[in-house]
Amino acid sequence: MGSERMNAVGAFLRDRLPLSHFSYEEMVGKKLVPVHRMSWGYYFGGLVLFFFLVQLGTGVMLLFYYQPTVSDAHASVEYITKHVGGGALIRNLHAWASSCMIFCLFVHLLTTFAMKAFEKPREITWISGVILLMVTFGFGFTGYLLPWHQIAVNATKVGLQSIEEAGQYMPGALADFPRYVKELIQGEAAVGQATLSRFYALHVVILPLLTFATLGLHVLMVQLHGMSQGVDHPTGKTERFFPFFLLKDFSLWGLVFLAVITLALCLPFESLFAYPLFEPFDPLGSTPEGIKPEWYFFFLYYPLELLPFWVVMLAMNAGIVLLLAVPWIFRRSSRRTLSMIAAAAALYLVTMTLFGDAIYTFFKGVPG
Amino acid sequence: MVNSFFFIGLPYIAVFSLVAGSIYRFKSERFSYSALSSQFLESKKLLWGSVLWHAGIMIIFVGHLIPFLLPGLWQSLTSQPAFVVAVEVLGVAAAFTALVGLVVLFVRRILSRHIQSVTTPVDLVVLALLIVQILIGIQTAAGHRWGSMWSVQTTTPYLWSVLTLQPDLIHVDSLPPTVKLHIAVAWIIIMLVPFSRLVHAFSLPIQYLWRAPQQVIWTNARRIRHIAPVIRKAEESRRLFLKGALGLGTAGGLLTVGVMDKLVRFFSGPNMTPEEQAALLQKRLERLEMTAEERDLELERMRNDYIFVANLKELSPKDGKYFIDYQMRPALAYRDTTGLPLLISAKCTHLGCTVASSVDASGRILCPCHISYFDLKTGMPQPGSPATKPLPLLGWALMDTQGNILVSQAPDGRREGEVPADKLEASMVYIAKRYEETV
Repeated sequence: MGSERMNAVGAFLRDRLPLSHFSYEEMVGKKLVPVHRMSWGYYFGGLVLFFFLVQLGTGVMLLFYYQPTVSDAHASVEYITKHVGGGALIRNLHAWASSCMIFCLFVHLLTTFAMKAFEKPREITWISGVILLMVTFGFGFTGYLLPWHQIAVNATKVGLQSIEEAGQYMPGALADFPRYVKELIQGEAAVGQATLSRFYALHVVILPLLTFATLGLHVLMVQLHGMSQGVDHPTGKTERFFPFFLLKDFSLWGLVFLAVITLALCLPFESLFAYPLFEPFDPLGSTPEGIKPEWYFFFLYYPLELLPFWVVMLAMNAGIVLLLAVPWIFRRSSRRTLSMIAAAAALYLVTMTLFGDAIYTFFKGVPG
Repeated sequence: MVNSFFFIGLPYIAVFSLVAGSIYRFKSERFSYSALSSQFLESKKLLWGSVLWHAGIMIIFVGHLIPFLLPGLWQSLTSQPAFVVAVEVLGVAAAFTALVGLVVLFVRRILSRHIQSVTTPVDLVVLALLIVQILIGIQTAAGHRWGSMWSVQTTTPYLWSVLTLQPDLIHVDSLPPTVKLHIAVAWIIIMLVPFSRLVHAFSLPIQYLWRAPQQVIWTNARRIRHIAPVIRKAEESRRLFLKGALGLGTAGGLLTVGVMDKLVRFFSGPNMTPEEQAALLQKRLERLEMTAEERDLELERMRNDYIFVANLKELSPKDGKYFIDYQMRPALAYRDTTGLPLLISAKCTHLGCTVASSVDASGRILCPCHISYFDLKTGMPQPGSPATKPLPLLGWALMDTQGNILVSQAPDGRREGEVPADKLEASMVYIAKRYEETV
């Protein structure tokens, strides 16, 4: 009995970690990419990786001039944008690529879900992907604070405050726990130097390291297991991963890079907001109007504004658990069903992101 | 007189020759209305000659055509110095590309035994004319800058005057001899088009860009069986490889140049004037001072039992004064209707934004983040606001100028001491540590 169970564990691990495939031939040389009507979905993971590399490059460059102190952060960002040669481009690129990365990540999540790429034995790929999603949101949230302008600090305050809000639903002595967590993240009673230092450390050291590890596992799993079939009824057509798919992948990267660099050259990311939001944070002044998180948090932010706090918190936590458990919950679902769920999720994300403000205005009578 | 011939007579002869000659040749020898392929006679040099020549001349042709067809657009574009430099560099590069191609083609025509047997004198004349024309063009670009700018005022109106049958020499009269020669040779080449291989330009073989590859080879029945599959495979992969390598090479090259340029500039740091440096330094100093002030406030709050907020007479019932409470949170100070201070936290109980200071007609203050109205007297949020908890009121103490506490009030409203009517106006408002701790 005991050894049977051990064998089962062994078989489970062997299926998930097919290290016998760990060879150039298996992982690259002979790898095939299925060709079907959803094949475009295979490119989005690569795009996320590409944008991550852009973030890495531009991020390291920004590190040369950025100074993570309350007194100097804003001035150093301004210095990069106004005085350093190519600085504005690098900074814009960092801002635009971050948004592009998160957009592609959303698409990647939805397509891999619809294509049932999480199916046994690819659970580890899926879970590492969900972790990467969280880490990327972490990047977005911590990076937003670093320029230390009005919108940065105030949006961070709002974001952190929502942790504290959870306290009202905790019984007795636990009620103070969320505030404690918030102050642990913040490092002090209010968002200040301690917060900036912490977010800086998270943004440039801890989260990148976490990403390298998780991404390494994620990509290794993708290569070990090969591409998932992607559709319920495979067409039988395939193309070779090397060099054909990879060449297409790289050409796409090139095109996308051209597009992002054009965007970064022509349209400063900040031009999408009113200027006063980019004045240095003033701890003594009142909060300016129009404080909002980045667009990729709208799907969470507007419900938070409209619905009772506990509903959103519950939904969010359920969502995370659901995401992690996807490979087991949807084990028997057809790709047709999964596609419909993914389409519904996409519809929700698009609606909240594009029309969240209008919905808020509709219900509350004033612009959010 | 000479001018009239070359710039009025010759153009009409050339255009007439082009139209009439083309129609005649197309009617009489339809299948000669192309260039005779010599690929199967010699293909290696042809690749480098033909591809370079055609790539170069197409760019140059477009570059000559746009200022002629869209002079307005072109003029606005060339008002940007960067555009002029870019377009001229591109043009000269294309000219050299075309020149190299032409020279290869010319050498091939005169050196290859096979090719000579199919070469007509007109082929050589046309090749030579084209080489000369390109050399003149390069000389024009180098010697008479910037052609992309002055052409809109000179050659474009001239060409339009010829085209609209109102030839006007005034636009070309004062041009340098090199440019005039360039125009004249152009008319001669146009004149020769129908009598040479140049007619193939009109067949506009656009589908070459995406049609399957073809290669003309010597063959016979035995040979074809033997090599056909090999050729097909080789061609396919070579074509793919060439396309991929060309695309990646060009893109990679451009990318490297661009990225290196930015990298070098970025890491070499800014190039600032002393004034800019001074302004920047001043700004940074101001920020440091601001931070120092904040730190000062913090220290003061750690050490002192009372913190000065304002002189009572400075406070108004309509517009609050911001100050920082013992927890380093923003707060607002007002004077209520009885003339006593009213201190209230300015940290919104919803999500912690700072509440605005002005009081509206119904005695409310507003948090602008998510539109929460708070009653100033009680701190209670208006029903329906995102905030549900009241803004806490703060305790205060009034001191006279000697530092004696006249009267103080706890956050819950309990008051110690009596309000001295005579000393009220001169008194000063403080917050007290003992009250903060109970909040």
